[in-house]
Amino acid sequence: MLLQGKTAVVTGCNRGIGKAILERMAAQGADIFAVVRRETAGFTEYCAALSAEHHVEIQAVYADFQSEEQVKDAARQIIRTKKTIDILVNNVGFSYPFKMLAMTTMDEIKSTFQVNFFSPLLFTQLISKNMMKNKKGSITFISSTAVFDGGSDTEYTASKAAIVGAVRRLAIELGVFGIRVNAVAPSLTDTDMGHNRSEADTVEALNRNIMKRMGQPEEIADAVIFMSSDMSRFITGQVLRVDGGLL
Amino acid sequence: MTNLEKYNQAFVEALEISEDQLPGLEYQEIEQWDSVGHMGLVATLEDAFDIMLDTDDIIDFSSYEVGMKILTKNYGIAF
Repeated sequence: MLLQGKTAVVTGCNRGIGKAILERMAAQGADIFAVVRRETAGFTEYCAALSAEHHVEIQAVYADFQSEEQVKDAARQIIRTKKTIDILVNNVGFSYPFKMLAMTTMDEIKSTFQVNFFSPLLFTQLISKNMMKNKKGSITFISSTAVFDGGSDTEYTASKAAIVGAVRRLAIELGVFGIRVNAVAPSLTDTDMGHNRSEADTVEALNRNIMKRMGQPEEIADAVIFMSSDMSRFITGQVLRVDGGLL
Repeated sequence: MTNLEKYNQAFVEALEISEDQLPGLEYQEIEQWDSVGHMGLVATLEDAFDIMLDTDDIIDFSSYEVGMKILTKNYGIAF
């Protein structure tokens, strides 16, 4: 197993790509802090079942990434367990239904950046201190191919582009501590968010894709597992596109 | 172990210096206490005292003595 004996923190993992990452990480033997927005009986039961199936520890942590205080509390809760954190996956992401900038309010732009960029950066700042002490770690952000092809709305695309800049710089800053920092950039993926656009927009996006289909969450998760594992130990500061050959 | 002993040990461990170098020691005064060493020191202190330093405190932590004042004032750690 690729992640046996490692402890991971994964944000936004109650559905979509995050849920697939949670499942794949558990299957690969990692203990996991599963950070989700709110407690639900369904998610608690799901974590318990996943934990029993793969003989790993999964601890749910609750934080709304619109709130920096909640992000800090979540990090505090994780750090206080005194566990060595080997892996951080900043998966949490958010987008409003696809629309033009002219029809988007500043509040919508700011809240998109808060969830997609500012809060993940704050969370990384706090969790990476644990990694610095242990002089090892892998941090993976989820960006988007929209950064390269403009295939989503302005604030979402810009927030995911900001991640790419942060990855480049953080790889340098944290590299001296033995911490790798990368991003995975999925194209249109078969999740609730992936269906957050008109059928015409979806068809147009898929027409530019060699494989002519949406990505599956598990296919994105597999790339994240690779980036999180020692299989990618000589890779840092990179953006791995998982896009079915987007042209 | 007293809080002062824990505090001193964090410096000794994180910056790989001896205890007699600590009084008056300032950030970036020695090679080991550069920005990288600073973050290592912060992580060691957080672990030793079971706290999470705010970013403002990490920035303000400019010397051995100032660090003690910050821990006392903002985190209730008595020396």
